[in-house]
Amino acid sequence: MMTMEGVVLKLPSFTQLMNPNHFTNRTSLNFRFTFPKYSSSSTASLSVPAAAPVSLGHSTRPDFEILHQKVNNGSKLVYLDNAATSQKPSAVIDAVNNYYRSYNSNVHRGIHFLSARATDEYEMARRKVAAFINASESSEIVFTRNATEAINLVAYSWGMSNLKPKDEIVLTIAEHHSAIVPWQLLSEKTGAVLKFVSLTEDEVPDTKMLQELVSKKTKLVVVHHVSNMLASVLPINEIVQWAHDVGAKVLVDACQSVPHMVVDVQNLGVDFLVASSHKMCGPTGVGFLYGKSELLAAMPPFLGGGEMISDVFLDHSTYADPPSRFEAGTPAIGEAIGLGAAIDYLSEIGMQKIHDYEVDLANYLYESLGTVPGVRIYGPAPSATVHRAALCSFNVEGLHPTDIATFLDQQHGVAIRSGHHCAQPLHRYLGINASARASLYFYNTKEDVDDFVRGLVDTVDFFNSFK
Amino acid sequence: MNSATATIFRPPTLSILPPNSYNLTPPRIQYKPNQSNPRTISTRSLQISHRKHITPPHPPEHSTTTLTVAEKLQILDTEFKSLPEPIDRVKRLLHYASLLPEFDESGRVESDRVTGCTAQVWLEVTFDVEGSMRFRVDSDSEITKGFCYCLIWLLDGAAAGDVLEIRVDDLGEMNVGILPIRASSRVNTWHNVLISMQRRTKALIMEAYGDPSLPLLP
Repeated sequence: MMTMEGVVLKLPSFTQLMNPNHFTNRTSLNFRFTFPKYSSSSTASLSVPAAAPVSLGHSTRPDFEILHQKVNNGSKLVYLDNAATSQKPSAVIDAVNNYYRSYNSNVHRGIHFLSARATDEYEMARRKVAAFINASESSEIVFTRNATEAINLVAYSWGMSNLKPKDEIVLTIAEHHSAIVPWQLLSEKTGAVLKFVSLTEDEVPDTKMLQELVSKKTKLVVVHHVSNMLASVLPINEIVQWAHDVGAKVLVDACQSVPHMVVDVQNLGVDFLVASSHKMCGPTGVGFLYGKSELLAAMPPFLGGGEMISDVFLDHSTYADPPSRFEAGTPAIGEAIGLGAAIDYLSEIGMQKIHDYEVDLANYLYESLGTVPGVRIYGPAPSATVHRAALCSFNVEGLHPTDIATFLDQQHGVAIRSGHHCAQPLHRYLGINASARASLYFYNTKEDVDDFVRGLVDTVDFFNSFK
Repeated sequence: MNSATATIFRPPTLSILPPNSYNLTPPRIQYKPNQSNPRTISTRSLQISHRKHITPPHPPEHSTTTLTVAEKLQILDTEFKSLPEPIDRVKRLLHYASLLPEFDESGRVESDRVTGCTAQVWLEVTFDVEGSMRFRVDSDSEITKGFCYCLIWLLDGAAAGDVLEIRVDDLGEMNVGILPIRASSRVNTWHNVLISMQRRTKALIMEAYGDPSLPLLP
């Protein structure tokens, strides 16, 4: 059985990279819990002990204005779709706002003041990402539109120049579509073969099978770190060891791990790792690829255009060094700066603290949801050694997940996801067409879970009353 | 909008309340029970008396009211506008879902599946000798079935030209939420169903006539 990885690794020393004055403009994260208006009277206040512990969820919620609203028929919003995208704290919104208000300009070649400042901030964001995942150097971080583009970059650039017919790529059936389809396209172009790892009885990817599938034919292993549907965590260190033993490279889809736990690419030993900004409190429109510098240096360009060239002649061009080689055209400057602000925000809280809180929240979610009659939760059961991510994909007997999600939204203000979560092969393997998914982040609380479960019970009762 | 009529209703046969009933209740799509569909007249009819549910529709004594697609569109629009509370819309849709004849398992074939939806939908499209389009649809989601029932009521028996003229925007009110849907997404399953109805209608006409312009004319 797998255990959470990387949780005791040292925290990135990102703060050394940042302007020491940076935090002075930000609201302190400590004890910013604001009591509801109705409890502001002295009588009501007495009901809250002065020393009552304030959870991370409660203390950070004030930073997320969007969470404090009513939706649909006046229900309090309970946002549980964080695996799809996270909300953004005011610090991130302010950073993007400040960029456009104060120093919006194109980066890298402008000689003027604004361009120099924008370039500084953009490259600072790259350094923050590098420090956050403990990359050796910031040039190992390539900004992309999202994680999907980062995977495609590796597929087209590294894949096209390194794979030949009958070479093998090993993946699991639990990969997100964006970590399957690019390799299918590559397979059509190169003749490389895709090999898929299925699940164990515990509904986690079968790592023993993966180990057996890895052979000298294997050139690449593509795996998720944390499953967006099963909530399981793969032992990346071991997988990297097996792959490297046969000379294969490893690409890790870390979209569901980087936002929630300490991820150290050097400790994990991965060759490529991708993640997206919008799932970690940052803006949409930017993601990143981590690649070992020697690999990136040997890779040809992915897209052609400005930024990525060294010299352009009419009949040929020479290309810039990484990461610029892979960042053709004007990048998402404001978004990258916003991602940098998100990393500041997460790091100030501490990724270990976020992870610990979410493990507790994950167990609470799993246990609470499990009490609903007819519910089936997918993925491994939590235990002392199995830590699930703070999400549950589930179905309720006799009800379609989209009907559940619709009613929860309209009647209870609870935002969950329904569908196949971009994991159709996994759903097919589990014998289902769709599932519902509640996914939490550190600004969620046990009260959110209670609201969700209460709403779900009412939803089930409602639909069953029509049968 | 073309004014093709839907005179050759297949089950479920639909009509609306006579106009003078509008003074008492909001316009409501009515359903004439189909004896060949036991689901609609036995257990499913029980839901009508559910305390939370809508007033049961009275089976019309004379169900031959002929409406144009444009008129039906207007009725649907009014129908949804008359339900400002999402829960009432869900109840209405669940009621309509109960009126939609289910496919046999053998009818849920992959070739008839409408892809790209969050729920599974199967759509059967035929073209009858009278020149009308015939649609049957089923889904594994009750709310989706409710929407599909509305589409069937709107377009089953219509001329191909009328089917092709309908735009998603024409049905902006047909939504569980109170905000009109103005953008197509994977969630809006009925958008995909409507587009599939139109695509397959066009394909059938092309197959039958080679030139879509002839039968599409009103």
